[in-house]
Amino acid sequence: MTVAAHRPARLVPWGLALGGFVLIGVAFLVGWQLALVLAVWLALWAVNVGVAGTTAGTWAAPVLFGLTLLILWELTVRLFNVPGVILPAPTQIAVALAENTNTLRADFVQTVLKGALGGWLIGSTAGIATALLVARSDFLRRGLLPVGNFVAALPIVGTAPILVMWFGFGWESKAAVVVVMVFFPVLVNTVAGLADTTSMQRDLMRTYGASAGQDLRYLRASSALPFVFNGLKIATTLALIGAIVAEFFGSPTFGLGFRISTEVGRLNLPVVWAAIVVAAVTGSLWYGAIAMLEKRLTFWHPSQRGRR
Amino acid sequence: MKHLIASAGLAVAGLTAPAFADAHANAVTLQLQWVTQAQFAGYYVAKDKGFYEEEGLDVTIQPGGPDIAPPQVLAGGGADAMLNWMPSALSAREKGLPVVNIAQPFKTSGLMLTCWKDTGITGPQDFKGKTIGVWFFGNEYPFLSWMSQEGIPTDGGDDGVTVLKQGFNVDPLLQRQADCISTMTYNEYGQVLDAGVSEDELITFKYEDMGVATLEDGIWVLEDNLEDPAFVDKMTRFVRASMKGWKYAEENPQEAAEIVLENDETGAQTEAHQVRMMGEIAKLTAGSNGALDEADYQRTVDTLLAGGSDPVISKAPEGAWTSVITDQALN
Repeated sequence: MTVAAHRPARLVPWGLALGGFVLIGVAFLVGWQLALVLAVWLALWAVNVGVAGTTAGTWAAPVLFGLTLLILWELTVRLFNVPGVILPAPTQIAVALAENTNTLRADFVQTVLKGALGGWLIGSTAGIATALLVARSDFLRRGLLPVGNFVAALPIVGTAPILVMWFGFGWESKAAVVVVMVFFPVLVNTVAGLADTTSMQRDLMRTYGASAGQDLRYLRASSALPFVFNGLKIATTLALIGAIVAEFFGSPTFGLGFRISTEVGRLNLPVVWAAIVVAAVTGSLWYGAIAMLEKRLTFWHPSQRGRR
Repeated sequence: MKHLIASAGLAVAGLTAPAFADAHANAVTLQLQWVTQAQFAGYYVAKDKGFYEEEGLDVTIQPGGPDIAPPQVLAGGGADAMLNWMPSALSAREKGLPVVNIAQPFKTSGLMLTCWKDTGITGPQDFKGKTIGVWFFGNEYPFLSWMSQEGIPTDGGDDGVTVLKQGFNVDPLLQRQADCISTMTYNEYGQVLDAGVSEDELITFKYEDMGVATLEDGIWVLEDNLEDPAFVDKMTRFVRASMKGWKYAEENPQEAAEIVLENDETGAQTEAHQVRMMGEIAKLTAGSNGALDEADYQRTVDTLLAGGSDPVISKAPEGAWTSVITDQALN
């Protein structure tokens, strides 16, 4: 539960405002473009300061900040004539997104739904299943965890070409790369979670004569859940990176990684940025979905309590 | 704040980079389009044998590699001149990067498709329904143009070609993941043979023989720089010395290969491979004195424009090449 602030919007202190005007004045000596960019930035910052802390400000401030970045980006690129092959303007990127929706949708299906999601599901399931085995056997824990550590440390730029050679150019090899990247974080987190019980709780289960299965279901599954979600959230980030980078090493002619790498080669930077936007939005939504699921299932955990 | 500083700094760098690049009237940075190998022997020979020094030039040769797009390096001010295939450079020009060809040491194309004979492919129309490995990063334009002219769609299916983004190796062919792969006469074809495949198991299609060849390694610079007389003078001397290096390399392939090996910082190249490559490259540079032949240029432009539904360039480029430098350099 967040305690919302109930203060009215306020103005920037006059000292800072004066400083801002002086800065803009000095910038005029360099060029009117720089002065204009600075003026716009300072003005938007002042507005942001004004709304920060108000009830509306909790959503308005981040939105305003994002808009400020986009506006400054657009202004700078236009006013200073930055070449499009170095940095395109946000409007150009938006146009590229609109013009290439079908292509990007096909890329999205290939990379995210087939490669990243497929690998994430397989890798996470394998990680959790292995963790259940490992938690029961000390012998397995001492043997498998170091191996898992080693596998996770293999650089993706080395494993991806090998897996492409083994599994072919299609989405299967990308899913394989994701599995390799995702397996160990999920395994380690789940093992830690399954072990995160106090001796009082374990003794209590023994007192009740709980079987191993009941112990798992009633005690350790709950304690493991926050850790499992932690692992899954890490895994979503890794899955997307893995699927995209793996495509650099061999792919059919669609996929986000393919799109980024070939359009860079063709100097089509707006399309590159459009693909980046798709990947970034996907990653955020996916992470957010897992976080929402976590909030529902582990509402009781300290990490889910609201900040003051 | 950081974003503002970063973008302002980037803008400043972008504006002043050309000025920095030729602050020295005798320093030239050349961006190669691949790793150090005999494909660029002329430049290494000119450097090692002192031809550049004779012209009073201090030349830095920057090797390229996968994921390095020479047009981008040129745009960012990282080099004075780049080597690039003409389709890629013309496409960059259409995208708004004003590059201009100042010399064309390579007269003919070394690009070819190498296929397994047992796939039953005997001609381009047999590509339908097959899987073909194609390089990207500027090297896909000749292929896309060719398929467009043949009327074969490149998005898969029984009536089209399934295109694989081929890495810079020959594994897709050896592993049977592709029926055909893109190869250069001077490099990957040799690698396929080295892997134990005999020539009668293969069938090859040279782009030159198919009439869809485009000009390859040319020397390109940014248009704005050509307005600076000091730059033009510098590049004239550079082209003169480079062509001297090329002719020397053609006549002394063994020595040229050795010079390339000495300059290979990665140590990945072998003598046998480089000597063979130099021999094949000499066939491509023979017949050119460095000047771009307008007929060749026109043929390349026509090939690119003829690409029906998916042309590489949409209209004939203007001012994409100049003979100003070669006229002075080769007299």
